[in-house]
Amino acid sequence: MASKDVVEYASPARRIANVAVVIFLAVYLLWTVLPIFVMFVSSLKDLLEAFRIPAVGDWSGIALFFDFQPTFKHYANLFVNLNFGVYFFNSVAAALGSAVVSVTLGATCAYALSRTEFRGKKDLFFWIISTRMAPVVAVMVPLYAIFRSLELVGSLWGLILAYTTFNLPFAIWILKGFFDNVPYAIEEAQMVDGATRLQAFRSILPLVAPGIGAFLVLCVLFAWNDFLFASIIGSGGAKTLPVATKELVQPQNIQWGSIMAAGVVTTLPMMFLGLLIRRYLVTGLTMGAVRE
Amino acid sequence: MFYVPKNAIYKRIPRRKFLELGGGVATALGAGSIAVGLSSVVTRNPVQAASSDDAKWKQYSGTKLVFMSENTPPSFAIRENLKPFYDLTGIEVEILTDDLPVVQQKVGIDLRSGKADFHLNYVQDKPIGAPFADYFANLNDFINDDTLPQDPDGMGADAWFENFLDACGTMYTRDRLIAFPYDSAVACTFYRQDLFEQHSPDFEKEYGYRMEFTNDTTWKNVYEFAEFFKKLRAAGQDVPYGYAQHQGSFAWTAQLDIQRLMFAHGQWTEFDVDDKLGSKEPGPTRWGDEASVFLMEKWKELADVAHPDNLANDTLQLNTVYQAGQIAMQVQYHEFAASIEDEKTSRAAGGKTAYAACPKGEASWIKNGGQAVNGTNCGIGGIGINNNASDDLKRAAYLFSVWSTSKDTQYNVLKGVGGTPTRKAVMDMPGVKEARQRPTDMPNALTFDAVYDYGIKDPHFVLGPKIPEANEYYQIILTEVQKCLSGQQDPAATCESIRDQVDDLNDI
Amino acid sequence: MATQVLSGGALRGDAPGGINPVGIMPGFVTRDGVTVLEREPAVRNPEPSRRYYFYMMAPAIITLAAISLYPFFWLIWMSLHDVDVMAGDKWIGLKNFERLFTRDTKFSNGWLLLIQYSALCLFFEVVLGVLIAVLLNRSRWEKVLVTVFLMPMMMAPAIAGLVWYYLYNGTFGWYHWFMQSVGLLGETSILGSPSTAMIGLVLVDIWQWTPLIVLITLAGLKRVPRDQLEANMVDGAGEIRNFFQVVLPNLYPFLLIGILLRFMDNFRFIDSVLILTGGGPADATNILPVYLFDVSFQYFKLGRGAAIALTLLVVTIILGMFLVKIFDSPAARNVGRTEG
Repeated sequence: MASKDVVEYASPARRIANVAVVIFLAVYLLWTVLPIFVMFVSSLKDLLEAFRIPAVGDWSGIALFFDFQPTFKHYANLFVNLNFGVYFFNSVAAALGSAVVSVTLGATCAYALSRTEFRGKKDLFFWIISTRMAPVVAVMVPLYAIFRSLELVGSLWGLILAYTTFNLPFAIWILKGFFDNVPYAIEEAQMVDGATRLQAFRSILPLVAPGIGAFLVLCVLFAWNDFLFASIIGSGGAKTLPVATKELVQPQNIQWGSIMAAGVVTTLPMMFLGLLIRRYLVTGLTMGAVRE
Repeated sequence: MFYVPKNAIYKRIPRRKFLELGGGVATALGAGSIAVGLSSVVTRNPVQAASSDDAKWKQYSGTKLVFMSENTPPSFAIRENLKPFYDLTGIEVEILTDDLPVVQQKVGIDLRSGKADFHLNYVQDKPIGAPFADYFANLNDFINDDTLPQDPDGMGADAWFENFLDACGTMYTRDRLIAFPYDSAVACTFYRQDLFEQHSPDFEKEYGYRMEFTNDTTWKNVYEFAEFFKKLRAAGQDVPYGYAQHQGSFAWTAQLDIQRLMFAHGQWTEFDVDDKLGSKEPGPTRWGDEASVFLMEKWKELADVAHPDNLANDTLQLNTVYQAGQIAMQVQYHEFAASIEDEKTSRAAGGKTAYAACPKGEASWIKNGGQAVNGTNCGIGGIGINNNASDDLKRAAYLFSVWSTSKDTQYNVLKGVGGTPTRKAVMDMPGVKEARQRPTDMPNALTFDAVYDYGIKDPHFVLGPKIPEANEYYQIILTEVQKCLSGQQDPAATCESIRDQVDDLNDI
Repeated sequence: MATQVLSGGALRGDAPGGINPVGIMPGFVTRDGVTVLEREPAVRNPEPSRRYYFYMMAPAIITLAAISLYPFFWLIWMSLHDVDVMAGDKWIGLKNFERLFTRDTKFSNGWLLLIQYSALCLFFEVVLGVLIAVLLNRSRWEKVLVTVFLMPMMMAPAIAGLVWYYLYNGTFGWYHWFMQSVGLLGETSILGSPSTAMIGLVLVDIWQWTPLIVLITLAGLKRVPRDQLEANMVDGAGEIRNFFQVVLPNLYPFLLIGILLRFMDNFRFIDSVLILTGGGPADATNILPVYLFDVSFQYFKLGRGAAIALTLLVVTIILGMFLVKIFDSPAARNVGRTEG
């Protein structure tokens, strides 16, 4: 931001401000991390221990939170007794499948949209974005009816198609921006040298690859984390992790250990992915949208 | 119905079932869709009335059925152990389980669209039975069919506990029977008798009678118990709250909760129709009359001396609160007894809890001239057959309905994961009578005295309101009562608001 | 030897965000700060026909159309009928809409609450997000902290709902214990009282999505043209003035994307609301999509549900259109360009 050449002498006000900043960031950090931390820790706690809280106002009681015997039995229970291996697979398959389909279809469409002009292009583009804006809950019933008649309910392909409804328009929207940022001149240069249109297209792919990669991960993320579609359309044969986790909230001895463990299982892969593409996340989200 | 026993979840699912249940990696990697249960198979061997029982059971051998059930103990137990049924009939049954709202949605869409993905349905009496009554097959046709086997204990009303068959099977007309009782959840009072004994001397000094819970304990007594505990707490003693209500977000049980109070006082019902049958056009509602306004005020007073977090606790959370030892009484469904008696997770286990009937009406609170009863209500889940299915599939499904509600199956569920039987014959099976006293290996049996011997009998039992708009009705009640309890609306206005909305709902 | 500036426009040498072909692709050269093709093409390929591009777009467009147009028309049809579970469908014209706009208090309440919910969430997310981004930008732990702040975003909203439900619970929730201990709450849990339930929901949303605004803003902060900043500082502007005069205007396009994304998602995601409160207590959190869910999937009033769905769709699209127009406007697009 500011040029580092400017030398600043810290005044008392400035020093207090600095301390305040540090405290503020630290508090925010704590607040952000705490629920995730609680989730992890609770997943290792045995049933009754998860319910122990100290008396109100008893601040030393915070130690109680850490006073437990860690156990992995909830995780074991998930995969051995509760079929979570299957749900994990379903989540992976549906998320990956939808991401690949969306990006493939979306990239070609986005490229075409980027390179061509015609009347009504803006409207078309806006219609595409608007399909992503539609609240899922609003279109759920008719969608269910369509999927029913196509015998897709409870199947992974049905779920993939369902996820494509929101990943595809998003793909077209963002990827178009990427392609807009790649000047057509490059392809023309290629074609000057005798390449076909397709080869020219392929030659610019490396330029957008990081962005597309990041975006692919975003698609996976959205599909993986979805709940509504999965619960209505994926039910039965294509149950995914979020739905399965919610189902663990059953009346009896609400299985908080297993629920937290399921939460960890659902969240951990996405956190890893997030770490992987951290650098490209923002690019993925904004590069396309902000034109220079 | 609401209750899922701990060990049900921990049981292993046999590998064959694992693959069969549609989660199979094999099918997923293979061809296209793993449409679970959407393809049904039926094969039939004709039988006559005079054929042997065995032949009758086996006439649909090779058929495949799908049962869409709620997360209820019998379904878990049966799913674990389907082999007996397969051996008996040669029919494969796929049992899907889900939360009640999800089951409602799926069953509703299935029935309405004329399809029959789910041949067998869990017919929760009012949330599913009342709105969709016309879509279920009339079981009378099958009962009277000589070519189908029947249960040796009979299928008529006296084979089941009192009022159970009516509860889930009779909607709007006696001509059609839509479900057999499959599981039950009947309300009764759970209370901490250890705390009652401990504080009884102080209580008697202040209120003039002993602190105990009998069939004659009225709602006014409940109020006084709660008030007493609250005073102790205010004085700094470490005692739980007296009482709490099911007023959290689960609309149906919130409505049931207040209905117990209303019915106890003069058998007040919401509509002027036959309570056991219900009606598609129930006419104007009684909400807003003098009795309802008075009782709503009482409900609010009860809430004020109860646990302060009523609005966040529905039936399931309330049970957790009781388990954590934070309340001394709860009017709860008897299937939860197993969880309360579990020493590993409940602070109210080990003899501390006793079970009694629901509170009785307080004579001075009755405004409509009726009698005071122990207002008891329930959620009886039935097993019904999708009428959209083909005749053969329906008959095959009937075989499963008969088998799954037989006394042997129910006894196994009771002993195993802790179910709640619906057939009278189960009471006579070995070990059940003994289990009704402590020490017991079937904790649910501790409630049988209060429930099967008392609560479900007339005049205490209320089955309605059976109306097609049941679910929206519950939501109206929930929202308005919550407004009243949180102080946003006074009781009179609440009752009027309910009346206006309910009449609008029923097109008055 | 004229150098042709071909379609695609002249490129500045090191335009941030744009691709500089010099060094990547052969044939380009930079002259006077402008990057162009070095020589004229010997043969000019015919401009790819429009039809070619249409074929490329077709599969995606067709898929989208099938999935979005059919439900849309179905909704319109349904909203004009009384779709009865038992008695079949009956044409009733605009009665569903009439009922919604005149008698249905949950409908109007649902809109009010939805606006309240979105506005609260957006406001705090933007303010907090920008503040934190600015602070992080000058901190040396930026990279580490940003990685950590990413985490809530990666969680499924449904899972976040479950975890926060656990934390808010009046019987065993640690957040509840904390808030009681500092005196913010009595024994009623935050979700158990109509006056505080909405706050509880908003907190969860802020927790999960402020990082998104932080990330986007950080990206924007890095793109603020140095020359603008330095010019302003030479003029004697202090840091705060600098921020408002130079930085913020440059951030607008980024912020707008963030706002657009979050705003749409607030309307779409009811996972956590369903898990945390289900719309209660006393309808205090019964935002319109939740009400729609109840009507369609619990009461099975599909006609009424379709009518509600249509109003939701229409409003969402209009608002989205409005926002997109703003961020697509010439003013926004000119941001980031320097003269000359």
